Amino acid sequence: MSATQPYIPRIGERGAERERYRSSRLVELKIWWREVDRVLLFLILTLMAIGTVAVAAASPASARRLSTAEVTLPDLYFYWQHLRVQLVGIVVLLGVSMLAKDNARRLGVVVAGLMLGLLFLVPVIGFEVNGARRWIDLGFSFQPSEFLKPCFAVALAWILSWRIREPNLPVVAVASAAMGLIAVLLMLQPNFGATILFAGVWFVLIMLAGVSLPRIGALIAAGVTLMTATYFLYDNARYRIDAFLFGGTAYDQVDLAEKTLLAGGWTGTGMWLGTQKLRLPEAHTDYIFSVIGEEFGLVVCALIVVLYLALIVRVLVRMADEENLFTLLAATGLATQIGGQAFINIMVNLQLFPSKGMTLPLISYGGSSTIAMCLAAGLLLAITRRNPFLSRESAGLRALLAQQLGKREGDRS
Amino acid sequence: MNALTISTAISSGRVQLVTLRRRSLLMARMRVLLIALLFASVALVAVMRIAFLGLSDRATSFTSLEEALLPPRGEITDRNGVPLARAFPAYALWYNPEALGDPDNPLVKSPREIAAELKTIFPEIDADEVAEKLASGKRGYLRRRVLPEEANRVQEIGELALELPRETERHYPQGSMAAHVLGYVDADGNGHVGMEKVLDERLSDPARRAEPVALSIDTRVQGALEDELRRGMLATNAAGAAGVVLDVDTGEIMALASLPDFDPNAIDAEGAENMYSRVTSEVYELGSTFKPITVAAAIDAGTVRDFGKRYQANQPLKFGRFSIRDSHDLGASLNVPQSLIHSSNIVTGQIADELGAERLRRTMMDLGMNEKPYVELPATGKPIWPGEKWARVRNVTVSYGHGISVTPLHLASAYAALVNGGVWRPSTLHKLDPRDIPKGRRVFKASTSYRMRQLLRLIAIYGTGRNADAEGYRVGGKTGSAEKAVGGRYSRKLLVSTFAAAFPMDKPRYVVVAMLDEPKGTTASSFQRTAAWNAAPIVGRLVPRVGPLLGVMPDDTRDVDISDLRPLLPEANR
Repeated sequence: MSATQPYIPRIGERGAERERYRSSRLVELKIWWREVDRVLLFLILTLMAIGTVAVAAASPASARRLSTAEVTLPDLYFYWQHLRVQLVGIVVLLGVSMLAKDNARRLGVVVAGLMLGLLFLVPVIGFEVNGARRWIDLGFSFQPSEFLKPCFAVALAWILSWRIREPNLPVVAVASAAMGLIAVLLMLQPNFGATILFAGVWFVLIMLAGVSLPRIGALIAAGVTLMTATYFLYDNARYRIDAFLFGGTAYDQVDLAEKTLLAGGWTGTGMWLGTQKLRLPEAHTDYIFSVIGEEFGLVVCALIVVLYLALIVRVLVRMADEENLFTLLAATGLATQIGGQAFINIMVNLQLFPSKGMTLPLISYGGSSTIAMCLAAGLLLAITRRNPFLSRESAGLRALLAQQLGKREGDRS
Repeated sequence: MNALTISTAISSGRVQLVTLRRRSLLMARMRVLLIALLFASVALVAVMRIAFLGLSDRATSFTSLEEALLPPRGEITDRNGVPLARAFPAYALWYNPEALGDPDNPLVKSPREIAAELKTIFPEIDADEVAEKLASGKRGYLRRRVLPEEANRVQEIGELALELPRETERHYPQGSMAAHVLGYVDADGNGHVGMEKVLDERLSDPARRAEPVALSIDTRVQGALEDELRRGMLATNAAGAAGVVLDVDTGEIMALASLPDFDPNAIDAEGAENMYSRVTSEVYELGSTFKPITVAAAIDAGTVRDFGKRYQANQPLKFGRFSIRDSHDLGASLNVPQSLIHSSNIVTGQIADELGAERLRRTMMDLGMNEKPYVELPATGKPIWPGEKWARVRNVTVSYGHGISVTPLHLASAYAALVNGGVWRPSTLHKLDPRDIPKGRRVFKASTSYRMRQLLRLIAIYGTGRNADAEGYRVGGKTGSAEKAVGGRYSRKLLVSTFAAAFPMDKPRYVVVAMLDEPKGTTASSFQRTAAWNAAPIVGRLVPRVGPLLGVMPDDTRDVDISDLRPLLPEANR
């Protein structure tokens, strides 16, 4: 108890001017710096820096491949382009990360709604690139599905967190319906890779939302069945899976990617000294991991894998003592989306997964997709913001594990 | 669980919500850890896969900067940097029955049709053999060294199974020139026969292969030598020819040729037969070309002190059942210069007899005649050396080049010692830096060497070497026409004609040895088979071609001073 008399309002009397919390840009920035997960920010910026160098390395290969008789692209065309987009991306990333958690949620939900609407329009006003109608042109061209990805995770987390206010809401059903709708729209394009990624995020979130283990098992079984069905119904997927399982023709892109990946040995040929990359299609996007392998070596490849894992583990471990269900779900969903896309891309490059047409998040060249990825990272930073001066209700990861193990032992005895 | 017990105790909606929140959070937290674990295991798989790929042999096909920019095998150049052997990116024609994706029908057209089409592109192939290869369904090379335009025509056949991978081939831009010096590289990248074998390690060493290896050969001299030898060989219908141009002061071989030769770009059965070198691998009795060596040894030893002294020349020398004669009667007596000019076996035999077997043997050993020739090439010929103790008759036969068989390169090194002031040096195919020139060993006195220059020049002016006396080049040299020993007997028909020369005699720079193996008497050689008529003219034509290239200009105002010997020669005063 403080010794001074607390202020009691009385009629006709104004209390002494209280020292009020003064909001200014500088103060906000200070608060942001204290609240934001700086390790996560560092990991994200490191990956983006690696991306800058990697796109510079891969740019000549793609520029030469995409040059035509009329237009000769300069070797570093994609690099300069990427640098510009990355600058915009960093502004988006930092801007979004400065939002308060609630505002970040609102942004996510609103953008998700907007993009879902645009996704409906894609079959109508979208244009085709490489046999798939994914792009839409609103002054600048972009894929609504790219922006939908992070916002979908946020929106889904929001829907699922309704349950703790009103236990009787069928949140899982609503989330699943949204998922189903998006899956149908995506397969119309068609975009199998994105569907898998969305489904992965959805699956992780409903799992966290408390779906029982037998149901999860059933879902996995259904997923396998669905994949098999896709294999038979969906030509593009079948070709790619066939090529993966039975080996394609000698010069398909998977084979070229492996040759590129291994061409540099452990330590790489050195930047811009790779030769195999020149034969590789999509060197600057889907197969940038292989280009890194050739020019910077397998050691750097392993380092990138570790960096992605560190990013995911950093987010997820911090979630182990999170008290807000929405934050927990949204952060996990976003981490799953970034990490899932990264590992699918890496697995494709390592020939552990059929070719997917998915970029390496934060590293690959991309216009709107880079910005979408920065939006995801920004949302992640905003949602995981924490006041470091508040003590947590639950005791953190170690206590949680001890408690769980103790419970198990208690059950057994 | 505590929360559960509390919630059942106080049953209110609000509390239920709190409980629900706690329970869902707890479950979510645990499942978050599960997902983290899942990602960790995926990452582990990825890292293990990277390690596996890195350690597998697939990763050994790694291209470093060196790999990308360096030829897989170093270049060989001549002494002036002209490329003699280089890496050449070519295509190969590879048959891949799996390319079409249908192992039962690897080809679109019939093998016979394709073979016929390939035959129109590569006329030298055997269409039946190729058709058989295609029909067998086994993958393999159909051909190597396919030129780009040929590759385009193969593409036009439209068979996926005919693949054209890029391969780096060894290319010898000068064709068969200096083939025996260079050798060749086989399909596995190993050098054979010549310097390709000798330098195998050096040329394939990643650290050093960027630097071309310079040989002592001068392409221009080599070309002229091969040209003149070939002309001489064809003119006399000889079985073969050999020649060498040697720097007298350094031992560097400027040109070395053996005919018939082979094309290292395309080794075939005929080429494989011609791979042994007549210059360095084959040994011959080189006949009268040894006489100047004998005379030099005698001058050096002091047993010939007076060039005017006359030796009887019409009585055969008799040693037991052997009698040594000349090809025709050269007169009752000859002095030393005359004996060389007319190439008298009888007089040379007497000089050698006065000299003694041991001294001649010692001289021959000093000139390296008892060892393999000093040159880097593999498979050099071992001389047939008469051994330790020489009988009197052996001494006499060796004095005119019989009973001892050496390679033409031995002779060239010996002549270099005769004229360069008396120092013998090992010959080499490496271009020598001036500071690397071997000191050599002294065999003759400088004064003896000077006498030999006079004597050799006399032979070219007045004697059997007249056909080699190129105007202005001051050539001096000695002919040698030895009967070939066939089955232990000397054949009257088969000769080895040699001309060993040096120029310019006032300051000798180069030794030239030209040899014809089994020349026939033809119109072109005036129906003569002796060296004076076939080997000497080769040198006579060669020296004006190579002299200016090697820095020896024709000059009528210079010559070795022979005025003191001229009075001894009635031929000179005629």
